[in-house]
Amino acid sequence: MPKLTVNGQSREVKASPDTPLLYVLRGELEVMTPKFGCGLAQCGACSVLVDGEEMRACITPIGSLDGKEVTTVDGLPARWSKQKGLAHNPDRLHPVQQAWVDEQVPQCGICQFGMMIKVTELLEHNPKPSDADIKAALTTSGPSPHLCRCASYAAILDGAHRAAKLMAGEA
Amino acid sequence: MADIMETPGDFDIHGASLSRRGFIGAGGVLLVMLGLPAGRANAQTNSLDAAKPASWIEIHADSTVTMRTGKCDFGQSSIYTAYRQIVAEELGMGVEAITTVIAGDTDRTPDGGGTFGLLRNASVNMRKAAAYTREAVLELAAQRFGVARSALSISKGVISGGGKSATYGELISGQTLRLTIPVEGSLTDFRGLVVTGNPPMKNPKDYTEVGKPILNPIIAPKVSGKTQWVGDVKLPNMLHARVIHPATLGSTLVAAGKLDPAQYPGARLVQVGNLLAVVSPDEWQAVQAAQVVAADTKWSDWAALPTSEKLANHLRTKVDWSIVPPTKGASKGDTATPAARHHSGAYFMPFLKHAPIGPSVSLADVRPDGSVMLHTHTQNAQFLRAAIAKMLSVGEDKVVIRTYPGPGHFGRSNGGNAGSEDEAVLLSRALGVPVRVQWMRHDDMGWSTQSSAMVADIAIGLGPDGRMLTYQATHSGPPMQDDRPIGALLAGLPTISAPTPDNPSPIHTAKMGIADRWIYGAVPHVSETGRGTFQIGEHESPLKVGLRDHSMRTPIQFQQNFPREVAISEAAMLAGKDALQFRIDHTEDPRVRAVLERLRVESGWDNRPSPAAKAKGAKVLRGRGVSMMLRDNGYWACAAFLAVTPATGEVKVERMVLVADPGIVVNPLQLRRQAQAGCLMGISEALHEEVSFDTGAVTSLDWSTYPILTAAEMPDLKVVIAPYAGADVYGQGSESANALAAPAMAGAFLDATGRPARRIPLRPEYVKAMLA
Repeated sequence: MPKLTVNGQSREVKASPDTPLLYVLRGELEVMTPKFGCGLAQCGACSVLVDGEEMRACITPIGSLDGKEVTTVDGLPARWSKQKGLAHNPDRLHPVQQAWVDEQVPQCGICQFGMMIKVTELLEHNPKPSDADIKAALTTSGPSPHLCRCASYAAILDGAHRAAKLMAGEA
Repeated sequence: MADIMETPGDFDIHGASLSRRGFIGAGGVLLVMLGLPAGRANAQTNSLDAAKPASWIEIHADSTVTMRTGKCDFGQSSIYTAYRQIVAEELGMGVEAITTVIAGDTDRTPDGGGTFGLLRNASVNMRKAAAYTREAVLELAAQRFGVARSALSISKGVISGGGKSATYGELISGQTLRLTIPVEGSLTDFRGLVVTGNPPMKNPKDYTEVGKPILNPIIAPKVSGKTQWVGDVKLPNMLHARVIHPATLGSTLVAAGKLDPAQYPGARLVQVGNLLAVVSPDEWQAVQAAQVVAADTKWSDWAALPTSEKLANHLRTKVDWSIVPPTKGASKGDTATPAARHHSGAYFMPFLKHAPIGPSVSLADVRPDGSVMLHTHTQNAQFLRAAIAKMLSVGEDKVVIRTYPGPGHFGRSNGGNAGSEDEAVLLSRALGVPVRVQWMRHDDMGWSTQSSAMVADIAIGLGPDGRMLTYQATHSGPPMQDDRPIGALLAGLPTISAPTPDNPSPIHTAKMGIADRWIYGAVPHVSETGRGTFQIGEHESPLKVGLRDHSMRTPIQFQQNFPREVAISEAAMLAGKDALQFRIDHTEDPRVRAVLERLRVESGWDNRPSPAAKAKGAKVLRGRGVSMMLRDNGYWACAAFLAVTPATGEVKVERMVLVADPGIVVNPLQLRRQAQAGCLMGISEALHEEVSFDTGAVTSLDWSTYPILTAAEMPDLKVVIAPYAGADVYGQGSESANALAAPAMAGAFLDATGRPARRIPLRPEYVKAMLA
């Protein structure tokens, strides 16, 4: 039986190793924040972090994730607490999530789970990104651009800058 | 149980009726119910649970308020922000007192109607309901304090007068009060119920809650992962379905492909007429099995579409525009008046897709007693309920629609269905278990409705002074609102009518109205004509499908505003006048003038005629353009700054400035976010979007064949909200922002290159043709 480590927990799953991670997260493990958008790695709505790198759950077979750590938006607060050595606090959001609230980023919000994952990946590598860095991360760094049909890109940029400040303790 | 004492006597509140139904020992509530016109009460087959209150506004003894609306949220935030502000304002409470908003569900909300014009017509219902409620509570206070109603005042939820004061909660404490307010219309009609009468409204000068930049309370649960989205809903024994749609928009089923039970144990093939699907308890198995079956399924041949390459020519030369009666828009003077110089142009707007990021998904549970519970994401739950009941030939009382957050789809479901709902119902009925239908990306692109194409012919005559003397426009296109559910069509089951010239439902007409409000009142001779037709391929399709059309954001107005605004920029160039000043010179409306003057300042507009001077040997040409729209009493203007590379045909938007005068601004924070995103979506449409189709089917099936704007393409963007002083209506948000980008960009293209862009998108292949 394949094993997956999702949001810090080791989980045994029934699905075969060639099953895309997205169907296992949503169907078996009740981890619902990665969303189905295209099934073609063209939009980013299903993005997760795999050992800190953004990947598309809709095309990633679970058999390729042995020994790796999967993080979804649900797991971002615990990831932040662990990185910062903070005590568990169920009300605390990851700075990227908090910034998304502060800046009122989402319109419909379906793409934002992938956007927050991508921006988290960016900020873990580049704590003070420029506009151009953020745009590049969202457009050319992965298998496809992260698409927002509501075109909330201006708010996403504001959110990313705010998250950078929150992570640096400047806000 | 507390003592209940019926007390006789109702109080008239400006035509509403307040009834004290009893006193109870603890708690207390004021419910706002709807009073249907005499004789109509039995026609309202609401499936509301009689045991639960169906009130629009419910005031509790702790002075908190629950409000209910049949409208849904699609990312506008209005029902969770602006509506709470509007209700709180009329009640004289702080917005934080409105603690609960119940939205959409047909068994838990009272009014129905579509989610559109949220701050236009729809907010009037909530506002009037709140005004009636405040007046009723003033009546209660007058009785308790022993003073006249006119001697009372309200501030922050406290009613004062005659030296006494009480909160809302204190005034209703220990009682069950029902306020019945007058309404008209029908719950499951397209527009739902409308609150009638004229309760006194608060003077906008005294507003304290409207105008605050309050946060949208549903964002925090969304980003923390706590929200249950439509695609997240699960039921016991639920099967996952993938529908195998026909090979073309007119193909019927010849032979279903084989499903190998050894390879896909647990999967089943289901057929209802031409509706074919694979179901499985395992979603990934359903996906895989459906792919295999689809490849092996035979459909009849069909080829009756003109192709997207030949669409403009088809509309110009192959459609008989005399079948559907024409309509008239602005009309004055005589456009045959001789002019000194003439501009004429032929314009084209392609089919566009709503293209939600998440394809349509629904979960239906049809029970043995024939009742239906449908979990979905719709902009018009009560109208969807009527459509499902019609499809199944059951009473509307049998159908309940529950709504959830889902991917924004910009008008596609404002007449009920977004795509998958009816298919889920039919499959659940066939199988006797709950069925979840998740459309794949290609289903959503290939089988949803689309925003329809339009052509326009515009002729402008200039006088010897270079001013516009005549303006003549003919706008011609297929209709814009087909609310027939696709699954019902595939299964051959009853639906409402397709768009026809004489459709009993006015919104579902094949007539082409003029939707773009004329704003250049100084032009002496004006004639606008709309010419309609039927949907392309619908009559030829054995399925009666073809290219089904549906409103998307500023429907019809976008398709008519683009040619008008581009033609006016072209006329300004012909006249040797600055495009922005030319517009100011031809308007008589001070609000049009004011937003354009503000745009001039905010954008750093350089007053000069087009085209822009070209540097010698320049490989990149730069220009700026302007556009203007009046919609729902909101005045919007936009300046676009473009760079065009003629050698490659590449167009880059470098800067956009938007000025909005929407009247009363309910929530400046949310309006700004809506305007920013709306403007960027407009750039997406103008740069990239066009539905491609061959002779049988849509061929824009994913994000590579229907590209949209990326973050990297976002220009420098400035949004200025500049409400006109004294305006007394609430402004709409992102719709107009969305429509303005394309004509402003085409104006900038004209300025940069000296050549008109009479169509979108400004893709390299079209740009090269424009410059050839």
